[in-house]
Amino acid sequence: MEIFVQLLLNGLIAGSLYSLLAIGFNLFYGTVKFFDLAFGTIALVGSYATLSFLKNLDLPLLISVMGGILVGAVLNVIIYKLVYVPIRARKGSNMVLLVTSLGVFTILQSLLAILFSSQFQTLRSAGYVPHIFHIYGASVTSVQVLMIALAVLVPIVMHFILKRTKFGRAVRAIGDNEEVASIVGINTSKVIGGVFFISAALSGLAGIMNGLDRGIEPYMGLALLLKGIIAAIVGGIGYLWGGVLGGFVLGLIENFGTWYLPSEWKDAIAFVVLIIFLIFRPRGILSK
Amino acid sequence: MGYIIHLIILCLLFAINAMSLNLLIGYTGLLFAASAAFAGIGAYTTVFLLKSTELGFFPAVIISMLVASVMATLLGLVLNKFRDDYFALVSVGFQVIVSTVFMYWVGFTRGPLGIPGIARPTLLGLDFSSNIMFLILVAIIASVVYLFIKFLIGSPFGRVLKAIRDNEEAIKVFGYNTYFFKLTILSLAAMLCALAGALYASYITYISPPVFYLFESILLISIVTFGGLGSLKGPVIGAVIMVLLPEALRFVGFPPEVAAQMRQAVFGLALILLMLYRPQGLVGEYKL
Amino acid sequence: MKAIVWLIVIVVVIWAGWALLDKAPEAEAGPIMIGFIGPLTGDAAAYGEPERDVVALAVEEINAAGGINGRQISVIYEDGKCDGTASASAAQKLVNVDKVQAIIGGFCSSESLAAVPIAAAGKVFLFSPGSSSPDLTGINQFFARNYPSDASQGRVMADVLYAKGMRNVAFIQESKDYPLGIFKAFQARFAELGGEVVKEEFPTDSTDFRTSLTKLKAGKPDALFVDAQTPAAADRILQQVQELGWKTQILLNDAASDPALITKYAKLLEGAMFAEFGYDATNSKFAALATAYKAKYATDLPWQSYSQTYYDSVYILAEGIKAVGYEGEKLATWVRTVKDWPGASGNVSIGSDGDVVGGHSARVIMDGKATPLGQ
Repeated sequence: MEIFVQLLLNGLIAGSLYSLLAIGFNLFYGTVKFFDLAFGTIALVGSYATLSFLKNLDLPLLISVMGGILVGAVLNVIIYKLVYVPIRARKGSNMVLLVTSLGVFTILQSLLAILFSSQFQTLRSAGYVPHIFHIYGASVTSVQVLMIALAVLVPIVMHFILKRTKFGRAVRAIGDNEEVASIVGINTSKVIGGVFFISAALSGLAGIMNGLDRGIEPYMGLALLLKGIIAAIVGGIGYLWGGVLGGFVLGLIENFGTWYLPSEWKDAIAFVVLIIFLIFRPRGILSK
Repeated sequence: MGYIIHLIILCLLFAINAMSLNLLIGYTGLLFAASAAFAGIGAYTTVFLLKSTELGFFPAVIISMLVASVMATLLGLVLNKFRDDYFALVSVGFQVIVSTVFMYWVGFTRGPLGIPGIARPTLLGLDFSSNIMFLILVAIIASVVYLFIKFLIGSPFGRVLKAIRDNEEAIKVFGYNTYFFKLTILSLAAMLCALAGALYASYITYISPPVFYLFESILLISIVTFGGLGSLKGPVIGAVIMVLLPEALRFVGFPPEVAAQMRQAVFGLALILLMLYRPQGLVGEYKL
Repeated sequence: MKAIVWLIVIVVVIWAGWALLDKAPEAEAGPIMIGFIGPLTGDAAAYGEPERDVVALAVEEINAAGGINGRQISVIYEDGKCDGTASASAAQKLVNVDKVQAIIGGFCSSESLAAVPIAAAGKVFLFSPGSSSPDLTGINQFFARNYPSDASQGRVMADVLYAKGMRNVAFIQESKDYPLGIFKAFQARFAELGGEVVKEEFPTDSTDFRTSLTKLKAGKPDALFVDAQTPAAADRILQQVQELGWKTQILLNDAASDPALITKYAKLLEGAMFAEFGYDATNSKFAALATAYKAKYATDLPWQSYSQTYYDSVYILAEGIKAVGYEGEKLATWVRTVKDWPGASGNVSIGSDGDVVGGHSARVIMDGKATPLGQ
């Protein structure tokens, strides 16, 4: 029983990270319909910014986290304005955008490695040990509980934004058909800028929580992105709650899967799941 | 001097890989992210045959190319259901799964220990142990590959590929079995990657799983896009720049740790600029 | 057609260039060029860079004392990146281009394993002061090392644990050659004695060990062996062991015996054990090394067990060159005759299999410090 609960918790913890990533990814992909390969690395930009605020400027945790998220989000908007707007203006295909995002990803990753070294670093201040809770004999830390809570709270907030605000309606309209949306008077450029901002903020939050729980290093951006994509596809790509569901499903499959298989196959399991879904149910679990 | 030979050999090996990837991306419009996996299949199969049978290098390479071809065909059956972004994503999945196999199928690959002491080829009494001889061998092979691709592209087969790239639906209407063409070109490209991988293994005399990871596949995509898609010289130029750039950076005085990252950063920046202003790459003919 | 022309051009250019630019072999009176392969970049640079500095220090001392038979020593440092491919390239350059007769290196076993065939083909003596993989024992007549094989580490740990009554050990092992080597050595000896070992592997850069640890914990082992490549990875694992609330006998490999790590997890590691190739602070050469290093580099001598062997390797090599001349094959043969040579690492003897005689000894962690394990 204890083992089952521990595995369940492990799955939820991993799943919460994937969900947060998937939410940001879905928001983005659902609106502009291309893969941004730099998505995971932007999460790291936020995390490293938080690290700097914490360690170099000695700011309190909450301020550092908010500052980090802001840095990542603003940077993403700047990149949008400088790079993606011109390409989209001349109707660049999805492949061009993908390869461009590859360039952004590469350059961000190398800059992070140069500035912060490729060593693994934790966002925790020295000596900080999180409180450990025990449930039915299994353990979970306060940071992890917070992650799981966020993975439930954030989509609720996002749901509200998307369904009840003008901005959210504009986002959905653009997602349905960008041309029509701009014809009816929506300032698509501004709204998409907002999408870039929010999705970077979400992924930044995910990255920072992960950094507090485990740690960060410059090369994990791609892995974060891929997990986010897999979670999004499994759950239902482009849909908010699809991302949440997909994230938790992926986390649970990975952890229960490695119970039966040697744990080194964990990453391969995730991709096998992806391919199975793409073949048999490409729209995901929660598709229309 | 010997060092220049070393660099030229690396340029040629990467050029073979890049040319094969160009066949897929530049001529057929398939964004393929598993070239390193096939290079690895070629390398490990060749080395396995060399060490456990009496076969010489060239028969072993030919067999490993056939193995790669079979695996590519099987992969293609799954892969060809997808387009564009999703095609790339599934190829990433294949790459990661194969990387995991390389690391953990210890009986075949010795996993993290890698395989040292790989012999240089011998052919008809000619021994290619010296770097000069090896350089000539690779130069000849690279030229043959170049000429073969040139011939292929100019042929009716090549025209169909380009048509698939430009508008697959259109030529399907004309009765062309695009599925078959895509399978064939995938298989061919995989064989060339396997060839490059086997030659690499023989040159360095040591291989280990990380050489054939996703990172390398993405690097190859960058090279090919940068050099120029849909042109014969593009991948060669891209390969040359990729090998020589870190050397140039080292000259300028960057410390080695930073030089490797700077190469990445410069490449990323170049990609972004290219996509903004010249999406066909340096000398390419196909705009993504 | 054009490609064939290109090909001919390439061949001609190379041939001409080679004929014109290829340097003649080193004149007899010039400096003695020795090669060095070690991780100068990447995670393992934390080891590679100080050891390069130790080598530089030793070379400086020897040169100041007149060099070898009047000739000065000069070292060509190449970056092995703790990676077989990089090391193979480095070895190729040192052997084929720089034409050295001896190379000090690699540090990581993957570096040495990759370089051995290249050195052997070029009849160059490869002498490693840091590689511990059991696979290197007797691998080739051109290879020798003054750092003990991990077969010794695995064996010592297995003996100690069995003697303490443990029969069932769980491993969490990083997928790299050094951790794998320790695992294999431990398992072989432990099984021989009658014990059982289970393991979960993880790829480098993993951050989530929870389920692997849960799996191992469920098997109720007598001990958990944290077998990672670097202290950073061990840190991540220990953190999650702590968070899972798993209290058990912990074992470490010598990479994880980093003092900072031990201090950080002092409570969790109370009573934990590991085996290391220790150093003797009262050894006069060792003390002299520590002082000289601090004087030159303004920081304490790090990684003492490696620094002592790196220092010794330069002096051993110098003695060999004095004895038989600077020639790879002769040096490789000579080094196997070294018996009770007084070094900073104690009395050094090299066996016919190229391995140094002697090995690891067990330590236990008490109050955040490592102390020898009394029998």
